Amino acid sequence: MARKTDGRTLLIWCLVLASVLVLALLQPRVPDLKAYPSAWTLPVVDWLNIGMDWVVGVFKPVFRALSAVMDYPLVWTSAFLGWLPWSVGTVIAVMIGYRAGGWPLATFTLGTLVYILLMGLWPETMNSLALVAVSVPLAVALGFGLGVWGFQSPRAERLLTPLMDITQTVPAFAYLLPILILFGFGPVVGLIAGIIFAFPPMVKNTIVGLREVPADIIESGLMSGATRWQLFFLVRCRAGLRQILLGVNQTTMAALNMIIVASIIGGSEDIGWRVLSTLRKAEFGESLVAGIVIALMAMVLDRITHGLATRAPDMSPPQGFVGRHRFALAVLGMAVLVHLATLALPALRSWPAAWTFDPAGPLNTGIEAFVLWAKPVLDAVKNFIIFTLVLPLKIGLLNVVGPFTWGFTATVWHAAAYAALVAVGAGYALSRGRAGLAVAIASLGLIMFFGLTNLTWPGATLLLIWFGYRSGGTRLALWTAAAVAFMLLTGSYEKAVLSVQLCGLAVLASFLIGTGLGIAAAESDGFSRILRPINDTLQTMPVFVLLIPVIMIFKIGEFSALLAIIAYAVVAPIRYAEYGLRNVPKDVIEAATSMGATRSQLLWRVKVPLAMPNIMLGLNQAIMFGISMLVITALVGTDELGQVIYIGLSKGNFGIGFLAGIAMAVIALLADQFCRAWQRRIDAKLEGAA
Amino acid sequence: MTRKTRLGLLAATLAFGAPHFALAEAPESPDPIKIAVNEWTGQVLSATIVGEVLKKMGYNVELVIAGALPQLAAIEQGELDLNPEVWDNSVTEAYTNGLASGAIIAAGPLGLEPREGWIYPPYMEELCPGLPNYLALYDCAMAFGTAETFPNGRLVGYPADWGTRDIDVVKAIGLPFNVVPGGSEGAMLAELKSAIAAKEPILMMFWEPHWIFAETELKFVEWNAVEGECIEETQVKETACGFAQAEAQKIHSDDFAAKFPAAAAMVAKFTLNNADHNAMILEVDQKGRTVEELAAEWMVKNEPVWTTWIK
Repeated sequence: MARKTDGRTLLIWCLVLASVLVLALLQPRVPDLKAYPSAWTLPVVDWLNIGMDWVVGVFKPVFRALSAVMDYPLVWTSAFLGWLPWSVGTVIAVMIGYRAGGWPLATFTLGTLVYILLMGLWPETMNSLALVAVSVPLAVALGFGLGVWGFQSPRAERLLTPLMDITQTVPAFAYLLPILILFGFGPVVGLIAGIIFAFPPMVKNTIVGLREVPADIIESGLMSGATRWQLFFLVRCRAGLRQILLGVNQTTMAALNMIIVASIIGGSEDIGWRVLSTLRKAEFGESLVAGIVIALMAMVLDRITHGLATRAPDMSPPQGFVGRHRFALAVLGMAVLVHLATLALPALRSWPAAWTFDPAGPLNTGIEAFVLWAKPVLDAVKNFIIFTLVLPLKIGLLNVVGPFTWGFTATVWHAAAYAALVAVGAGYALSRGRAGLAVAIASLGLIMFFGLTNLTWPGATLLLIWFGYRSGGTRLALWTAAAVAFMLLTGSYEKAVLSVQLCGLAVLASFLIGTGLGIAAAESDGFSRILRPINDTLQTMPVFVLLIPVIMIFKIGEFSALLAIIAYAVVAPIRYAEYGLRNVPKDVIEAATSMGATRSQLLWRVKVPLAMPNIMLGLNQAIMFGISMLVITALVGTDELGQVIYIGLSKGNFGIGFLAGIAMAVIALLADQFCRAWQRRIDAKLEGAA
Repeated sequence: MTRKTRLGLLAATLAFGAPHFALAEAPESPDPIKIAVNEWTGQVLSATIVGEVLKKMGYNVELVIAGALPQLAAIEQGELDLNPEVWDNSVTEAYTNGLASGAIIAAGPLGLEPREGWIYPPYMEELCPGLPNYLALYDCAMAFGTAETFPNGRLVGYPADWGTRDIDVVKAIGLPFNVVPGGSEGAMLAELKSAIAAKEPILMMFWEPHWIFAETELKFVEWNAVEGECIEETQVKETACGFAQAEAQKIHSDDFAAKFPAAAAMVAKFTLNNADHNAMILEVDQKGRTVEELAAEWMVKNEPVWTTWIK
């Protein structure tokens, strides 16, 4: 795939860029060039609505019955957890923590629960836990079933893989209306939305886990005369258990991410509701206190499921009922003992209100003081970035440069100088034999001058398809063409461009910052240790909470949205870069060191290139996270596909929102294809070098 | 099947039933009347109070937490029975379609008088002396401007999914302002709080009653008076009337009146007023008292009023 840019390709690049330029210049005269004519779109929204009406008409009774059935476990679980005295709950959780991760995890679990108790949020936490406790097993069962199916039939896998990607990228709000109508109202609906979002990782991990069982294990199973059923459940599932349990872990995390969404749908008095209602009032302190509960809960559950998944299997399992169930019996015994104690001491039953305290007030005062102090400086930074990067990318330097923004009025001469600068840059790169760089300079120069929204749809389509062809051959070119055609025909093009502009910039920043931090973390254990809890918090804390101080400093609008996306998407590149660098084979490093490589040579010439596949995975994940944030950024007033989803919801029009959701998934899938194409080129390069 | 979507505390308070008034018909059914509870305090108060009155009539009452959007679908489907406070100002198609199709029944105004318009903190009158008259905004747009909106002023509008009324008005009267969609109530409040703390310029589309008016001093831009309703899209600069003012409506599902006739008759008479409401919102949001306490106080104070409703 790694092709040299030869003379012919260069000529085509020139032709493509020239046509984009001409189209952009023509655009003020030909209105159909800027906006795709709405007469040429298909009434997809109507089709979607007709389809949904049919589904609702036919299947509603079935779904209602399902919802009624699912209500029972939820009612029972929340009733049980609501009844459970805090002291008993704490003892059980800490013992499980000890089992999964020894004293450190047991201490962490205890600390988390004490925090929850001190903040007086125990009942709310139990309600949220009930939701997770019911949705995770159901999602795991569903995911495991589909995973087994996908493992046994390659055809099913081909069907499942893109479907899983779509379920994970289409935001829950996009299919909220049909879920409400089909399943009724109340926490069960939140539960179902949670399951839909949480089961895909289970499917993926089940397929991988079952597939990667070594053939000799299966053979030895066959040899010992196992039946087909025994072979599958006792041999294959046992052997693939670790990977399958990792799926459980990721499913749990996904379910926790849905707590907030579930309470928007209409939930119970749980943590998600708490966060939401304090956010409505922009009460930073209060929402932070509750948001931390979700983050801590996620971390504890993550460590526990992860610990149980990776625990070394017991080589000589003890015999007998008591021996095999020693741990469960111990937990039960302790629980009964503590429960007896609560009968004597009521304070052990429900945490006394006098023992709680509320740090929200000082937090609010603190953040306000910080905002006042930091605003002037940060405002200058914000304006600089907006005028030089964000706005040019959106509407072009042509429209941005002015006395108020850049300090002068743009004339033809400025434009000519800009063109000359771009030409010189590209020419210089070309003369040094860097044709790829030259093309990049010319394209960027063009885009920044006119802005993505003024690039004209035929021009942008042409550029994108050609770029797809150069990156991944005919296949990717066809993919790109199909995706762009979808946007144009469904009338989503304009919002899609705005989404790409916002997300693209944020993802690029996350990737650069994240990879940089990841490399630093791989080089320094101390830094890594500082970074890890920050990462965990960023990824598990409801992003809404972080938005309040961001808005207080940077105001409603695109810049706040950018920061919100970066805060969430930066974690994946950090993790993948660190993981990749730390897993460079020891012998390679030793060889390089013995050849006299300095530390920086070792890093940039050996480790980073070898970690490239992982770094690219980080980019891929940053894109996925970034796109999933568009629904959130709509809440700070951006104008893209995420916003369309809310508009659809408020109109009670399923088609509008769902189409926007699908469009987001299409962007994500296309971005994924591009990442894979680049990945293949990097792999080929690495192989060539080896 | 019972649903357990109750606010634990609220349900407990409500279940703490006072002796029932013996009424001939009510309750017609032991099924609970499900009342939608939204995210803002004013509505929670209205819902709790109407629940208390229904409770006195002998009904089982269940308060169900429901988002402002999903609740309409739920009332259309008959999953929820009643919402005593729905604002018809930011009317969505889900609401108007529901009323048109008869799946949602309007039970008359609640009696609260909401006000909507553009608000600003008092210090803006120094920067833009003609305020509160709207005509002043034409001359001092830049006092409200930021680098991104130059040379126009910046108006923080309602979130995009609340409709485009603010944009319509700006367009209709040719005001040199860019309307930035507010995103969400939380985002709007965060920006408002920080602007006031830093004494920065701000102009924002907002509504009353809202607790923010109890916390900070804010002023409304004033418009020309009109006879009848203000038509937002077709007004012109010289005679601009601003916004059509809304009413808080009581709504219920289409089978509510058939299933609980006495309750429906009470709901039709049920009213609250601004003064009581603002005072109660202030108590809850600023002084940390519970909704249940205030609802109970309201019941005691207004016993002569609600006893006539349930007769």
